[in-house]
Amino acid sequence: MHIADGILPNVWCGAAHGVAWAAVYGLGRKVETHEIVRMGLLASAAFVISLVHFPLGGTSVHLGLYGLIGILLSFRAFPVIFAALLFQTLLFQHGGLLSLGLNAVNMGSGALLASLIWRSPWKADVPKAFVCGFVGILVPALLLATEFAMVGYGRGFYFIAMLYLGVAALEGALTAVVVSFLRRTKPTVFA
Amino acid sequence: MWTTLDPRARLLSVLAATILIASTPRGHLLPFLLYFPLIVVGIVVCSNASWRYLIARCVASSPFILMASVLLLFQYDLTADGRPAGIGPAASVAGKGYAASLLLAFLTESTPLAQILWAMRKLGSPESLNLILGMMYRYTALLEEEWTRLERARNSRTVRPFGFTQMFGVYGRQLGILLVRSWERAERVHAAMLARGFDGSWPVWKPATFAWVDGLFLTCCTGAFAVARFLG
Repeated sequence: MHIADGILPNVWCGAAHGVAWAAVYGLGRKVETHEIVRMGLLASAAFVISLVHFPLGGTSVHLGLYGLIGILLSFRAFPVIFAALLFQTLLFQHGGLLSLGLNAVNMGSGALLASLIWRSPWKADVPKAFVCGFVGILVPALLLATEFAMVGYGRGFYFIAMLYLGVAALEGALTAVVVSFLRRTKPTVFA
Repeated sequence: MWTTLDPRARLLSVLAATILIASTPRGHLLPFLLYFPLIVVGIVVCSNASWRYLIARCVASSPFILMASVLLLFQYDLTADGRPAGIGPAASVAGKGYAASLLLAFLTESTPLAQILWAMRKLGSPESLNLILGMMYRYTALLEEEWTRLERARNSRTVRPFGFTQMFGVYGRQLGILLVRSWERAERVHAAMLARGFDGSWPVWKPATFAWVDGLFLTCCTGAFAVARFLG
């Protein structure tokens, strides 16, 4: 799901960089000391888990934890995902420097939407966590497919996005298990 | 030569070259006859980077680049003489993708991560991002250690292989306990780092100054790729 450099037009990459850096500045302002630990840890978790790929339908997919990050960090999720993507780019060439903004906008949108859903008045925690994990993966996949369709690559990437339905369900279930576990053992993390 | 340059000059050179390569119009293949020799000669002359590593990184980027190229191939009709018109655009997208991957792999292979992060900080990246990156640097190892411990503990207590649903629950809870344990340890690590004077920046082997040589290299590198882009 990481867009490589040179694939999408520079204008798109430049505009996405503008949006992403503005969001990193805006949503990462006035970070408290106690937030640094949680942000650094979840950025590391997102980085580590995204390196575990498994084959699916001729391509390979991985979990992202974007929903869980949205739940635990709210709007601070965006700078955290940006940092995790930057690490992936620099260490493993997942994505590229030019397309980093696009990747951050795609994946950060999933986390921000998950954060909004988590903070909605809906009371049932476990189904809500499932939906958060689900949209955390599916929204970036759909955004990627839409971007490719808009710049003339056709609708082929929608097929890849559909493959991510299975991954999104898996991620949703995993997020629900983790949230239910954290509710029982360390409810303070939701503060 | 390359490794003695200011990390900012290295980062900006790679970024400028990537932007110029990516701006090549679809279907224009001639500039690639200049880009790739420029990159190869640049890597050979400027550093002793491992070609094995660089090629391995390009191969790793292949699935996405090839998928995009193949999809683009089918977006064009046949030409009057029956050839697929999408070959040129698809080849140029693949060329851009591989050239950019090669440049990025070269940068990360020849420049330590701490120096790239230092360069970003000096170029004005937000303080919150620098802090997160600094903590990630430390916590990735911590998470790996905790995960290894949890795996060892689980394996030593597991008699039979799990079924899918059972395995899913076990891994979900294991991820939960990983977060809880890492969280507590991360807080202790952070407190210890603060006690030792950590201010959010990571030590760089030799803080660099942006000298005229760095400016000259950046200008020449950008100029060479610009010539290839506009004359090719």
